[in-house]
Order: sequence, then structure tokens, then C-alpha cells
Amino acid sequence: MQVETIRPAGGRPTHIRHDDLISAKGVSVVMGADQNRQLILRDIDLSVPKGSFVSLIGPSGCGKSTLLKVLAGLVSPSSGSVSIAGLSPGEAARKRMIGLVFQDANLLPWKNAVDNASMLLGIADKSMSRSALRARGQEMLELVGLGDAAHKRPNELSGGMRQRVAIARALALDPAVLLMDEPFGALDAITRDSMGQSLLEIWQRTGKTIVLVTHSIDEAIHLSRQVHVLGINPGRITQSLDIPLPYPRDTSVTEVPEFVRLVLQLRTMLRSSHQPGGAS
Amino acid sequence: MSKQPVIDISPPASGWTAATSSWLPAVILLLVTVVLWEAAVRIFSISSFIVPAPSEIAKSLVAQWDVLVQAAVVTAGEILFGFLVSVIVGIALALVIVRFDWLGRALYPLVVLFQNVPKVALAPIFILWFGYGLAPKIGLILVIAFFPVTLSMLAGMQSVDRSLLSLMNSVGASPTQILFRIRVPHSLPSLMSGTKIAATLSVIGAIVGEFAGASDGLGYVIQFASTQLDTPLVFAALLLVSVLGIAFYYAAEILERVVVPWAPKFSQA
Repeated sequence: MQVETIRPAGGRPTHIRHDDLISAKGVSVVMGADQNRQLILRDIDLSVPKGSFVSLIGPSGCGKSTLLKVLAGLVSPSSGSVSIAGLSPGEAARKRMIGLVFQDANLLPWKNAVDNASMLLGIADKSMSRSALRARGQEMLELVGLGDAAHKRPNELSGGMRQRVAIARALALDPAVLLMDEPFGALDAITRDSMGQSLLEIWQRTGKTIVLVTHSIDEAIHLSRQVHVLGINPGRITQSLDIPLPYPRDTSVTEVPEFVRLVLQLRTMLRSSHQPGGAS
Repeated sequence: MSKQPVIDISPPASGWTAATSSWLPAVILLLVTVVLWEAAVRIFSISSFIVPAPSEIAKSLVAQWDVLVQAAVVTAGEILFGFLVSVIVGIALALVIVRFDWLGRALYPLVVLFQNVPKVALAPIFILWFGYGLAPKIGLILVIAFFPVTLSMLAGMQSVDRSLLSLMNSVGASPTQILFRIRVPHSLPSLMSGTKIAATLSVIGAIVGEFAGASDGLGYVIQFASTQLDTPLVFAALLLVSVLGIAFYYAAEILERVVVPWAPKFSQA
């Protein structure tokens, strides 16, 4: 039962409670060899409580996507450790505890929506029959609001719908954690807002733990319970901000004064994170 | 990705009219060319063994119809067989190169190197090795036509998005699963373009094979007729070769629509 204090965010220390699902300690990532060696991430400490919705925000090149890949077990840290419910990220992934969503939906163009939604599950669990996979895919499509589009191919779906299928595909694994790397980055503003709102509803219905990488201040505040700001050169968590807005939130939350205040606060944090820093 | 908007500035036309208006200019040009050709040969009284008039070619086509059709069937058989062998070998080679890393690194440079050998020059050697039958023609078509198949399939298999591969790795997919569930289907649109090129090259391979040594087929007819100075028959056979080439190309195009109806190029429909 440890209580950890993260760097003060806007004056107020943030207390993270015991049952952290994800915990990263002293994670550094070095890439390249010899003269091209580059410190991508330095000394990252991150705790994500079970059932939480956490966003990582920062300027381009701050390594926020790399951090997500470390959590997913796709990149091994050069030093430090990551645990997901006590397991290494690689083990957690093999136990289907990690669902991934990237900016590009990456659907298979030769499969329809329902087969795309169950594609990863079919590879992870070879014992499932085709009909069981279909049923699971259909269930997930309904969860993301695409129950009617099961037999459409990706080229018949809009960008937002394709991304919904990608979310359904990740959820089909029934993962404990959903790791999302700018999932709405390629969508237009209106679609983006409604996708964010849908994600919030899915989060509340399923109780998944979500880590979202984003570069949108509004999106981070609208959706998450806590925002970590990453600085650049090297990538590191400079500040963290709690979002005390009550759930359930809808898009009207963006109009309350508290939201506006948080936006200003996060913007100030981001501005100071742009300065490359050695000491912190 | 997203659909390319097609801006159609021509006035809307019904199905039949639209089809006619797209074909009509080409047909008119062809007819005009044939008429001018006929007229030029008559006006300048060019000897028919140098340039035969279209009417002479038509006459020869009718007179030698049985011989020509029989030869065309032989050549078509060679093309089809050689084409299928090229596609199978080309696909197998691409799969081996992608799946077995060290074998791929050994094979690929050699395949590219071999591509620089003028394959037509191999025809006499193939005759020497395999005689005058079907085998040397198949061999020649194979060495000419497998390369675009291998290359296009490799390009398709290697252009899979990296984050899709990350996704597959995250659920513990094996290299074989990634190959057959992702890379191979992903390569099909590209492979089908390579197959169309192979179809055209197969026609060339068959004719070259017959030139080098054959007792039958359209290539043989062309060569035999030219030694007899029967130029109208040469042109008649040439016409049938072209028809075969067009037929094989369109067959490959139909195959493409059947195999990859989901390819980006068909998304308009």
C-alpha cells in the first residue's frame, strides 16, 4: 500500500493510490548506436490506477508515443521497469491484457467490419470457432455504435467509423488496459469530438483503464481524470494535472469556467515543457 | 485510403451512349488508318510482298483460316501454360524470399542479376537442351515472365504498415501467421498488376520460343511465311498474335476484379 507523490501539478501534489494497474519506474529509452545514440525518454515514473483515464500530452518528438510502446511491450526500456498488474508488458500482452489503437485504423481492406473487429482475437485465441469470433466481433461493433455496419468493408466506412472498428478490435480482446496513440488525430474536429464522447461512454460502461496519447489540450481535459505533460530533449514527465471535473462528462463540459481554467493551466504547463531541460 | 473524386465535365450520358462515346474515337481512327493504308498501297502500287494492303491481308486470313486457327491454338496453349508456370514460380519465389530471411538475402540479388540477362538470347540454348517441343517455350516464358510476378508480390508484402505489424506482434502472432493472414492478402492488388505484365510478356516469350525453333504455332507461321515472301500471311498471323495478346491481358484484368474486388482502384464503384 504505497502512496506516491508525483511532482506538484499547479501547486497541488497529486496522490496516486495503491492499486495501480500500470506502474513505470525510472524508465529510460536510448535509441540508435554510437554517435547516433539518442536519449528518447529519461527517468519516467508513471502510475496509472486501475479504471482510470490518463492522458499523455506533449510537443512532437517528446517521446509520448515511445512511452506508449514501452507500456505495450513493443519497445524495451534501456533502464527502469514497467509492470502491468505485476506482469511485464510482454507477458501482459500475451495474456491479452493490452488493447492497442493507433492513429491509423489499419483495418484489413479484404475483411468486413465484423471480421476486422475479431481479427486480433482470432490470432490470440486459436481455440475460438469462427462463429464465436463473429459473435464477439458483432458485440463489440454494437458497443462502439456500429452494429449496423458489420458487413461493410473498410472502403465503405468513413474515417471515424473505421476508427470505431479499430477500437472494437482492441476491446474484443477484453484487455485490462486500452493504450491509444492519437486515435482521433486524423479525424476532423466534429468527428473528433463525437469520437471522444463515445470513448468516454465506452470507458464508463466497460471500466477499462485507458492511457491516451494526444496533442489536443481540449481532448485531454474533456476525457481524462489525469493529464501528464511530457517535456522534450530528453522526453520526460515535467508536470501532472488532475482534472477534477465530475463524470459523466459530455461535450458541454467544455463550456464551464473550470474547463477554461484547466485549459489555460495545461497550456502554461505545455509552454514550459517546450524548454529543453537537463535538471528537473 | 479516401476515394478520389472524379470530376466529370462531359454532359451526363446514358450507359450505352457513354460506352460508345468512349470507344468511338479509337474505332474511327482505326478505320481511317485502314482506309488510308489501303489507298496508299493502291495509289503508289506498292508490291504486296513489301506492304500488303489490308484487303490482301483479309484475303490471306480467309484462305489460310484453318492453318492459322490451328497455329493459334498451339500458341495459346503455350502462352497459358507458360503464364501459369511463371505465376506459380514467381509467387513461390516471393514467399521464400520473405519467409526465410537468409535464403532471401541469398536469392534476391541473384534474381535481380538474372533480370539483366537478355532472356531472348537464351532461346537457342533452351532449344539445345529441351528440343523442339513445348518445354523450351515454357522455359523461355518462365524466365521472361516470372520476374514482374515476384517483384510485385514482394513489394506488396513488404509495404504492410508497421503499426499493423505492431498490433499483430502484441497478440503474439507468429511470422507464418503474419505472412499468410496479413502480408499475402495485402500483396494481392500489387501481385495482380504484376500478373498483368506477366500475361503480356508470356505472349512475347511464346513467339520468341517459336522463332528459335518450332514446327507449329503462330511464330512458326510468321517465320515460314516470311521465307516464302508471303507477306500477307505474315500480317494475318501477326493480327492473330495481337488478338491473343489482348485476350490474355483482359483475362488477367478480369481475374484481378475477381481476386481483389476490395483493391483501392475499384473503390469508386
